This record gives sequence, C-alpha cells and structure tokens, in this order.
Amino acid sequence: MSEPKGRGAAWTEERGTSDEGRRRLTAPRRRAEDTAIADELRHVLAGATGRSELLRITLDTPLFGTAVALDSLTGTLLLREVRHRFGVDVAREDLNLDALATLGTLAAFVSQRTPLTAGSG
Amino acid sequence: MSVSRLPEGGAGSLVKCVVWDLDNTLLRGIYLESLPQRPPADPAMAGLLAKLGKRGIVHAIASKNPSEAAEYAAQATGCEFVAAECGWDRKSQSLARIAAVLNISVDALAFVDDDPYERAEVGSALPGVRVLSPEDAAEAVDWPEFSPAGVTAEARRRADLYQRRRHRLDAEREFGGSREEFLRACATQVTIAAAQDEDVPRLHELSERTSQFNSAGEALSAESIRALIGSPARDVMTVRLQDCFADDGLVGGCVIDRRHVRVWTVPLLMMSCRAMGRGVIDALLTWLARSAARQRAAALQVPCARSDRNVPLRLALASAGFRACADQAAGGGRAVFRCELGVPWPALPDWVSAPGGS
Repeated sequence: MSEPKGRGAAWTEERGTSDEGRRRLTAPRRRAEDTAIADELRHVLAGATGRSELLRITLDTPLFGTAVALDSLTGTLLLREVRHRFGVDVAREDLNLDALATLGTLAAFVSQRTPLTAGSG
Repeated sequence: MSVSRLPEGGAGSLVKCVVWDLDNTLLRGIYLESLPQRPPADPAMAGLLAKLGKRGIVHAIASKNPSEAAEYAAQATGCEFVAAECGWDRKSQSLARIAAVLNISVDALAFVDDDPYERAEVGSALPGVRVLSPEDAAEAVDWPEFSPAGVTAEARRRADLYQRRRHRLDAEREFGGSREEFLRACATQVTIAAAQDEDVPRLHELSERTSQFNSAGEALSAESIRALIGSPARDVMTVRLQDCFADDGLVGGCVIDRRHVRVWTVPLLMMSCRAMGRGVIDALLTWLARSAARQRAAALQVPCARSDRNVPLRLALASAGFRACADQAAGGGRAVFRCELGVPWPALPDWVSAPGGS
C-alpha cells in the first residue's frame, strides 16, 4: 500500500487542537470520530483494491458483496492496515469476521476499540 | 489421520527464502570500496546458493549498496535472486519488505551477514528469522529447516515462478478493470481434479509449506495422503493453476470426508500463497459446496486451526458464507466453519474445470 500511516495522525492532530473539538461533548465527538474512521477505511479499501470509486461507498455497503468484492488478498491488506493505523486486531477478536459485514460495522468495531482522541478533552 | 505437528514458525519450520548480505558475504570484498574493479563472488557461498536452489529454497539480497550491486551479484554468482533490497535502511526493514513482496512470513526467512551488528539488529527485531554468519551458513544448510523432505517439480521452478509472479503483479497494477476481469484477461485456468499417486509428494510438500491457507495447521505425511486416496468415502483433490504468465502447477488441494452423508467435512484445505488473489480458493470452496449439495448433503464443514497466520483462509471462508461454531472435540485452539447448503450456490466461473462440470 502506497499511502503511509500519516493520514490518521494528521487528522487527530487537527481535531485535537481545534477549539471546536475542545468544546465538544463526548457523544458528538465520538460520532465525528466514527465518520473520520469510516473515511480513513474508505481510503484503505481504495488503496488495497486500487479502485478509487471505493472512496464514495456508503456505510451500509457490504464488503464481501459485489460492490467491494473483498477477497482473501484485499481482506488481508485491509486487516493489516487497520492494525497498523488503529491498533485494532480484528482477526484476533472476531473469529467470524462479522466486523467486515459492511463499512459501517467495521468503522463501529474500530471505533469501540480506540480511545477518544487524546488532547481534545 | 496420522499427522506430524509442525512448530509454529521460529526454529524448526522450513526456510523458504535466504536473504544474503553482499559485502564480505556473497562477495569477497566490499563493492563500493573495490570500484572500479568489482569483488569476485565467494565460491563457497555461491556453492551454497546453488545447493539450496536445487532444494526449492529461493534467494534474496539485503545490502547497504546501490542497486547495481545486486545485479552484479546475480551475474557474479550465476544465481537468480527473487527480491533485492538495496539501500541504507535497517536490514530488519529490508527483510520485512522481502517477506511482504514474496507473500511469506518473516519466520520463513534466513539471513546471512558477516557483520555481527547487522545480525544482532535483525535477530532482535525479527526473532523468527534464522540469523547466520557466513561460516554458520555452510553448516546450517544441513539443518532440517533447510532440508525439505521431497523436492518436487514445483520446488525446482520456484525462483522462476516468483519472477513471473512479479510480472503478473506489475501487469495487474497497470490493469484498469476489476480483479475478475484481470483474471480473465490473463487467461487464468483453474483445474480441480481427483489426486493421483504421482501428486502425493507435491501434496505433502504443500501441507508442510502452507500456513496462510492451511486449515489443519499440521503437515500430512505422504503415507497418510496415499492411504486417503484409496479410502472409501474420502476424496483427495488437487487444484492446478496456470495463466499467460506462468504454469504454477499444483497449487492447492483438499481432503474430503464423506462418511457422514449429510455433513461433508474437509479435514484439510490448503493453497500455496503464490495463488492468493487469483480466484483459486473461492473456486475450490464453490466446487466443494456445489458437489456436496448435488449429493444431497445439508452442510459442509471445515475444521480450522485458530491462528494469526491463517487469517487469509478465514477471510475466504467468511466471504463464502461459512460461520464458525465452537469445536468441542478439539478445544479452544480450533473452530469448525460450517456452511448450510440450502441456498443454491453460484456456478463456477468458466475458467474453472472440475469433476461434475460447473
């Protein structure tokens, strides 16, 4: 994958230092982070498959279905990148890989396991 | 079935690729300091390269030199290198990249370097790598991890197949369409067939070498495979793969247990990681499900070792609609992935030929 893990870090920094971010309560901030996680996952998917149209998929798009057509190769790349960027080992925690049902389920799975952005509270 | 347990990586498991340093290791001297002359190959090391190559072990280079040095080393040693990392990064990073390019675990690498600092760096960053001095290497080639049991036709062609794989990956990167379109465009042919006696050595070798796509997590002896081929209500299947880039030969296989007519069990499902991303495992799972359904089985199950290494296999199973249920008999280290056969399965793509047709 060509894109380094910097994207996530840059985003956190932005979010962490903005005044708006500081004023937010936990719940809305969590929702905003979910959106950002989903966005980052779209980039990872586009990188793993080489298909830029995946940058526009909705949260309810199935990952194994025809639209994304995740297979063992692209799936392995996706899981590896999720581990590097978010420190979440989906394969270890989720035997059936149910987290990979849709973009939204994967984003939620990652979000539940990542601490809220440091420095914004 | 009788199986011999393989250690989980680390010392003892088979080395698939040896990564060589150049200066004062493969070459007698220091490349940049000898210019405009260039140091000759070390004849003892060149001998090891050839010896290991005949056993199906491939070679790569990790060197703090410009990339011309790798080309020169290939010419000087007369040996083919499947990957070369030249630059000034830490060697552990070079080894990790080589493993990624070859799609093998870093634990399947050995590393030979005359510099004790480099050996220590790699040894501490990647504890699964067999780290050797050039003197150790001469002796180590007789260790079991450098001595695969049988050397098959596929093994002898391995270096060449890795090269062709690289050409295919380059072509795929440039190809605009979907993966399926790419597979079609390069005339992919997957052939599923009942195993014959002459397939036994390669099937045994696959059962030893595969980890990312190996449901059993254990090697199956040649005798066991031979016995299964003749057993009633069992099938041993082979999967062959070729396209316009290469004929990869026998890349996968499975054992089917049909003694329980309603629930077919697949005690071993395996595929070479070279065949990853080429539709092979999906074709095999589809064929299995369709064959079981045709003979009125209600479910198909694949008992699977739970490890970090066979995640690609779990992805293939999840993508084909298999679900895990706890395997009481085998304890926590395993899970049985099961698929109900009530819903009709899609037909096999037309590039797959298999018994029973599509």
